[in-house]
Amino acid sequence: MKLIIKILIVFLISITLNAREIGETEITTEDGIEVFQNEKFYLLKQNVKIVSDNFTLSADEVKINFDKSLYDITELDANGNVDFKSNEFEISGNGNFLNFKVKIEKIKVEGERSQLITNDIKMFSDGFIEVSNLNGDFLLKGINSKLVNENIIVKAETINGNFSENANEKEITYLEVIDKNISYVKNNDTEMYAKKINFDNDTSIIELIDDVIIIRNEEKITGDYGTLDTRNNSYKIKSNNQNKVKVIIQSNE
Amino acid sequence: MFGVIIIFLFVIIIFYKQINLTYNNNVIIEKTINSSSTADISEPKFAINNESKKIYITASQGNFISKDEVLLNKNVKFKSSDFSIETEKVIFNRDKQTAKSKTKSMFKSKNATITSDGFNIHDKGNKIIFYGNSYLILK
Repeated sequence: MKLIIKILIVFLISITLNAREIGETEITTEDGIEVFQNEKFYLLKQNVKIVSDNFTLSADEVKINFDKSLYDITELDANGNVDFKSNEFEISGNGNFLNFKVKIEKIKVEGERSQLITNDIKMFSDGFIEVSNLNGDFLLKGINSKLVNENIIVKAETINGNFSENANEKEITYLEVIDKNISYVKNNDTEMYAKKINFDNDTSIIELIDDVIIIRNEEKITGDYGTLDTRNNSYKIKSNNQNKVKVIIQSNE
Repeated sequence: MFGVIIIFLFVIIIFYKQINLTYNNNVIIEKTINSSSTADISEPKFAINNESKKIYITASQGNFISKDEVLLNKNVKFKSSDFSIETEKVIFNRDKQTAKSKTKSMFKSKNATITSDGFNIHDKGNKIIFYGNSYLILK
């Protein structure tokens, strides 16, 4: 009984001593902290864990730039096995490297199998994913880059775009998709391939440039240039060579 | 019933802390009395100077290890305009203006606290390395 009480006491005291209070950020490392006062940054070394009310992050190493004092964080670089979640920005992700610029709310995740997940949009890449929370700009670059939301799937080497907040949902306002091999966009029941694909929410037009293929139901149409109007789901395809537009209608049987 | 258990545990924690504090104070006082006679310097004071600030170092005792190195013992404090560090043992090099500690240390600056298993001050106080399992709280 005495032993149990002692264990309980030690346990409770250790919890009391290390407990983070509301509003505080708790950082633990296994191999120390290096503070560079003149250069205004500190290094957190080995198995770093950062926990605050709205943010958690774990990584092998973290570099934090500060302004006035250690608490006044301006930029964070996390390296190796980075995993994070922000309740405030409703975003989570992982990758080999993370850069977060606090004041401009710009986040960049880099490395193989990088992911950035928000409530409405999921982004994946083996290169990097960059999102600016203030203006909604995003850029995915590298192989296996993919963007998925409720209405659209995009796969390409470069996916550049912008989303805006509309009725608490993130809506894509423009997209510029480029792949030297082939880009892929799926919108509702239509699959589109082209070297370059653009989308403008103002005109509701998806523009397809070079090596265009549009597949819908059993129809497959190829050409050099195409447009798809997302309002009425109609599309047009043309070719530089008049004879080149090709329609293949597949039978279900 | 659960409430009674919580109150009981809380009372035990307070008693335990009180007993611990009294014991620790007695140990510190006893040690001070025992070792005060062996100190080369009592209440030593040093400073690390750099371009932008001065770091003042104080302790209860100091013992010369070599011409330049002093072992500072008990209640060792580093204090500058923007931070302080407290620990129990530090080797201070007067010539190189460096300090090294392998005892539990606590760093405090505005809205930030670091606890670590020791530290090393280089480059006239510009670079501070905290060793081992370290714990940083930002407010």
